[in-house]
Amino acid sequence: MLRVVKPKNARSKRAMLAREPQEVEPAKTAIFVKGSTTGERLNGVLRDLMALKRPNAISFSKKNAVHPFESTDSFIFWAQKNDAPLFLVGTHSKKRPHDLTLIRMYDSRVLEMLELGVDAYVPMSDFSGRKPPPGHRPLMTFDSPLFDTHPRFQQVKSLLLDLFNGEQIDGITLAGLEHVVQVSLGPLPASFTNESTEGKDLPPVHVRCYAMRFLASGQRTPRVELEPIGPALDLSLRRHQPPDEDLWRAATRKRKLEKRDVESGLGRKRKNVAVDEGGDMVGRVHVGRQDLGKLQGRKVRALKEERGAKRRRVEEGQMETEE
Amino acid sequence: MRPTMDVSELLQAGASKQKSIQVEKEIPLDIDIGYLAATDPNPIDEEEYKNNREEYLQSVARDNAQLLINHLFSLPIESSQDGPLAKLPPPTTTLPRAKPLPKPKPPTKWEKFAAAKGIQKKRTEKKIWDEEKQEFRDRWGRGGKNKELEEQWLVEVPANAPADFDPVKEARDAKKKRVAKNAAQQTKNIQRAERSNASASLPQEREKRKTELERDLAQTRISTASMGKFDKKFQGEPKLRGVKRKFDPNEKSADSEKASALAILSKLDTSRPSKRARAEGGDDVLNVRKAIRHESRTGGLSGERTGGRPGKDGKGRGGKRK
Repeated sequence: MLRVVKPKNARSKRAMLAREPQEVEPAKTAIFVKGSTTGERLNGVLRDLMALKRPNAISFSKKNAVHPFESTDSFIFWAQKNDAPLFLVGTHSKKRPHDLTLIRMYDSRVLEMLELGVDAYVPMSDFSGRKPPPGHRPLMTFDSPLFDTHPRFQQVKSLLLDLFNGEQIDGITLAGLEHVVQVSLGPLPASFTNESTEGKDLPPVHVRCYAMRFLASGQRTPRVELEPIGPALDLSLRRHQPPDEDLWRAATRKRKLEKRDVESGLGRKRKNVAVDEGGDMVGRVHVGRQDLGKLQGRKVRALKEERGAKRRRVEEGQMETEE
Repeated sequence: MRPTMDVSELLQAGASKQKSIQVEKEIPLDIDIGYLAATDPNPIDEEEYKNNREEYLQSVARDNAQLLINHLFSLPIESSQDGPLAKLPPPTTTLPRAKPLPKPKPPTKWEKFAAAKGIQKKRTEKKIWDEEKQEFRDRWGRGGKNKELEEQWLVEVPANAPADFDPVKEARDAKKKRVAKNAAQQTKNIQRAERSNASASLPQEREKRKTELERDLAQTRISTASMGKFDKKFQGEPKLRGVKRKFDPNEKSADSEKASALAILSKLDTSRPSKRARAEGGDDVLNVRKAIRHESRTGGLSGERTGGRPGKDGKGRGGKRK
């Protein structure tokens, strides 16, 4: 007999329903895990990143003897228990000092892992800028062509985007735009090639945070000025575990669109419809091919047929047939 | 004559106060406005980066943020309680889901039956008209109409009722029975749904595992010298077909014999020693640690263990005869 878990009251029923798979998923919750030995730097990094991720963040601030690349059992358990698919793990060892590991789960299984070394860190508290209140979504910029081409940086981009902006939303309040998260790369080392995956051959990753200030520009769109608010991280790429292909395919599967939605223009490219700078929707319509044969050219007397010429021609034709 | 005023200076002064929102980029950004993200394909300016890294990064971030803001303000904007709201298109970047797509709920037994019979779903109103009290009452729940019989102060007792007939208890038991039956039906529906889900997702895995097991079993069967002829057989174990012992002919041509011997030799030569052996002994193929362990277990080399367990020899069948 299969065991059926039945909620005992309405509250637990709601909680169970909220944990069931949903078509459009809410923001992913991240768990910030402190390893068995973390220094001041890592503690600060975890604290500041958590401040940016709030309210979808859970802190595991006690010492946890975890080694993500050796055993992932704890993460699978925690992910299930807390309904959280993202992990940021801070560990520190002599071999890999100031180690920050990002783990992404799918269906309570480890999808991928990425290990980053925190080479330099300036905490949020060292900046005077206005800190964003919790729950505000940042703008994100990834400032290197490698984020689209190199597999290791594609992973970096995908994970950081998922961490800060992974939720799909219909609209955003323009007044609620507070800060920018910039992820950029340093200059490429001499040993860099497109195939290199080792950390020492790859450029460092800079993560910076800025608060936005809107100035009048004389137009509807304001001028943006930035002010650093921290944290400022210089990261180097270390070990990684790319996603299993089958698991990735399962995780990126899309809902089959219903006929009604397809007809209303969802799921396919909407052609010839655009929004102009004034916010108006502008359409372009094809009016059919013009028949140039019927085009009225310039009326010149010389091209005009003589009066009665037509009649005369018809009479001649008749005479010919009679003959 | 009216005095003329030159406003061009004023205009210029105003314009210089207001800064531009234009940003020039050699390669346009790749903007995924659904996730409020932009990827800048322009390479970094190494000189600027080396001279003043933070300022350079901030200037790049400002330009890209400006482009994102320009894009956001060009989207269709609606008014909302919290101010203007930019409608975002669906994102173009593919991010993995946290959980699989929800499966459609399998129909319950009743739903299947209703569909087969063409029974339309009717919505039951919660309130029901009470003729006696001349008011609407809840169908169930506190003071519900389904408890009417239990709360009656006077009930007609059937003629053949036993002496200890309790009409209130009777009514309550009947109601409880109905509730229990419904609960049981619900559980069964859930179980049925889970079973169908499991059977829908499992077969591939099961089939794969089954073929793997069968292959392993076949391999173990033909691994004995007699190719499983004298092995213990289980009930219902399929008979292995087409497996025959093969022997090389007694007289073989010298060339083929040489070739086969060389093949074995070459295999021996190239086979790499185990990791641990390499780490410990360098070129030495012998895994010293493993050899010691093996010897200590079998007691082959050392003669020290001969007097180890004296009692063992005395036991057994020989002892009984005495």
